[in-house]
Amino acid sequence: MPMACLPESSLEPNPDQIMNNKFKALIDVSAREINRMTSRPLYFLAVVILPLLSLLFFVSLMKEGVPVKLPIAVVDYDHTALSAKFRRTIDATPGSSVVMTPATEHEALSELRKGNIYGYVVLPHNLQAEIMNGTQPVVRFYYQNGLLIAGGLIQNDLTVTLHTLSAGVNKQKREAMGQDVPSVYAAIQPVKPEAHLLFNPETSYPVYVTSIMLPIMLQIFILMITVYSIGIEIKERTSREWLRISGKSVAVALTGKLLPYTAIFFILTMFSNFLLFRVLVIPLNTGIIYLVLLSLLYVLAYQAIAVFFVGLLPMMRHSLNLAAFYGILALTLCGFSFPIEHMPEVFRLWAEAFPVRHYMHIFQSQILAGFDFVYAAPSYLKFMLFLLLPFAVIYRLKSALIYQNFIEKIQITDAALAVVSEKSHIQ
Amino acid sequence: MKIIISKTFERFRSAISNTALIFQRELHLLLSDLGVTILLLIVPVVYPFLYSLIYYPEVVRDLPVAVVDLSQTADSRAFIRKLNATPDLDIRYENISMEEAAEKFRKRENRGIILIPETYSSDLALGRQAVVSLYADMEFFLYYKAMVMGAGLVSIEEGNDIQVKRLLNAGLSERQAEVFSNPFVISGSAIANPAGGFASYGIPAALMLIIQQTLVLAIGIMAGTARERHKMGTLIPCDLRRMGTLRMVMGKSAAYFFIYAVMSFYMLGAIPAWFGYPDKAGFCQLVALIVPYLLSAIFFGLSLSVFFKNRETPMLLYLFLSLPLLFLSGIIWPLSNMSPVWQAVRSIFPSSHAMLGYIKMNSLGADISETSHEIAMLWKLTAFYFMTACLVYKTQIAKVKKLVLNAGGEQNETIPAL
Repeated sequence: MPMACLPESSLEPNPDQIMNNKFKALIDVSAREINRMTSRPLYFLAVVILPLLSLLFFVSLMKEGVPVKLPIAVVDYDHTALSAKFRRTIDATPGSSVVMTPATEHEALSELRKGNIYGYVVLPHNLQAEIMNGTQPVVRFYYQNGLLIAGGLIQNDLTVTLHTLSAGVNKQKREAMGQDVPSVYAAIQPVKPEAHLLFNPETSYPVYVTSIMLPIMLQIFILMITVYSIGIEIKERTSREWLRISGKSVAVALTGKLLPYTAIFFILTMFSNFLLFRVLVIPLNTGIIYLVLLSLLYVLAYQAIAVFFVGLLPMMRHSLNLAAFYGILALTLCGFSFPIEHMPEVFRLWAEAFPVRHYMHIFQSQILAGFDFVYAAPSYLKFMLFLLLPFAVIYRLKSALIYQNFIEKIQITDAALAVVSEKSHIQ
Repeated sequence: MKIIISKTFERFRSAISNTALIFQRELHLLLSDLGVTILLLIVPVVYPFLYSLIYYPEVVRDLPVAVVDLSQTADSRAFIRKLNATPDLDIRYENISMEEAAEKFRKRENRGIILIPETYSSDLALGRQAVVSLYADMEFFLYYKAMVMGAGLVSIEEGNDIQVKRLLNAGLSERQAEVFSNPFVISGSAIANPAGGFASYGIPAALMLIIQQTLVLAIGIMAGTARERHKMGTLIPCDLRRMGTLRMVMGKSAAYFFIYAVMSFYMLGAIPAWFGYPDKAGFCQLVALIVPYLLSAIFFGLSLSVFFKNRETPMLLYLFLSLPLLFLSGIIWPLSNMSPVWQAVRSIFPSSHAMLGYIKMNSLGADISETSHEIAMLWKLTAFYFMTACLVYKTQIAKVKKLVLNAGGEQNETIPAL
């Protein structure tokens, strides 16, 4: 439809020439885009500097692995040799460090509310005496669960430490009775759980979070800059010139324009892989070729989605809003903060529309765990489907580029008139 | 004397009326711009709803796991029954081999494997320690936690039962056996969020972040749009009636403050009440935190707005910060384990202090004195960003004045205020 409406319809050259012309047009469009990119610092910031800073931020924030030595308090009402020993043992655990010994529980709670500690243990009056005479005193501990990760770590750490202390008392009694040591352990803790991380014992959870946060940051930049680079042509009414250089083919126009970004973001994705596998030394359990393929697909899928957004809403302010909404939501719907399987059904389906979700699956299954390609194949297939999205809007986009009928009203008129015309437009 | 007083009064009156004019104009501009209206009124309304629905189940229960029982004895079956009884785990597959369980894990049909060794029963009979292996999925922290906590506690409980049984067989009384195996009772309780709900933890903090992010984006978009509209690409209009740094900053800030004061009632009052999130903070406490937060965020936005030359620029250059700010707030990554560099970076953003302060007040029931550090930081930032905002507007006004003067007669057509 829009093809026929073009005012200047060209002659039909032979097929060879068409290919040559198209290739030349592609080069021209890319050259034009690179020229545009270097004309404003905005591009350099949004394509290189800020993505790089984001990557480095996440790598450096969590590089040390599981948070250690979280500050806690011990309220010692007993003041005996045993309670002192308890305090030292709690302090010596890798997960927590006793930074204060408030006199009362009330004080400890206040310190917790101030944010100085994440939990506290209360050693009651007569702890030692009651343990000796077998009246089973109660040792309470409290953890700040308003901060889920710190709270969970403290809960885990104190549960284990206090059980160890309990076992220690038990062991002393048994040794006093003359039992030998290995059987003592077996008697105190007949069933011992041993936690393994499936197929990837070397990686700690925070490192794993980093491996998801890096692609999530990159997708925001890919989406925003792709929408911008196309939308700005419509907004600034340069789209016809752009289309003319591309030989009136939207496919050539888009490919040529996005190619430089594809290259840069592919390099950035590979750099983030370098950070993950070389700097954070996450084990890489598959061929590097898959990593390259996955990185390339990741960049292309997000570019395709961004093109789809511009086609859907050619007025840039709206397509940018849509891209922002989608890009930020990826953090939630890729499912690493909260499992997708436990979300209401509709969000499970919605999550399928996020490439980062499929990226995460491939990353875990094939790259971290080293499972065969077949298990990740469905996710690769879904990646391919994203690449088809631009075809759904190509005609709509073409007509928007030609007719420029999605120009924001404000742009046309002069400053003072703009305000007035906008006012009357709204009323 | 009388003249001076009346002159001062006149100046004061004009300052007030000009500020009111800027306030009114800004409010009108904000609400007549669809994009900004969405950002200011729709996003803060919709996001909390959306997130609350997504995180509706709050906690991870019934994690699908496979149990590989190599022992196949009464003892191992007793252990499995106990596992099944915990709300954390749902035993999907029993009586399968390790290979099958691993295969199902690859296909994501189970999210963890519990392996009971062949020697389980004989170990127990011979007084050796039986080791049960838990293979946990690391995909989600909550899965890992459910698996390790769920199965770990069952092991401790089962071990305890076995120990007591043995001591009973050895001739001790029930009470003696109990005291022997547990010299003291361990009781852990959560302060705030006892169910460990994800929404109760994440959404209040996210609400606070949304306030700052939408504010800065909206101010930036308005600034970019203003530059596009104004003839010479200046941030402020060529209208001499509104040339006053303080009037400019105060008038604009008042418009945003007004909108967000209203929105805060919804975000901090209605949303927690509707979805049952923690709401321990009283009205006065919230006001003590929110007022400096809104002010510092507005002045922060006004200061940043000088960098946004076009309407789209804030989306391209500022939006991404939302995710790093979430991690810097101290809600996810504990502050005690943050490097001094990131602590310093963290402290220049109003959201960091407001998020942590809000969690303290709302979840832990901290009062104003216990949140004094955050509130003091927010006031300091308010003062600092107020100065930078004034500086920005002062230089911009000077720029416009110069332009107008240089342009001389033909360009002197000042643009009428709306």
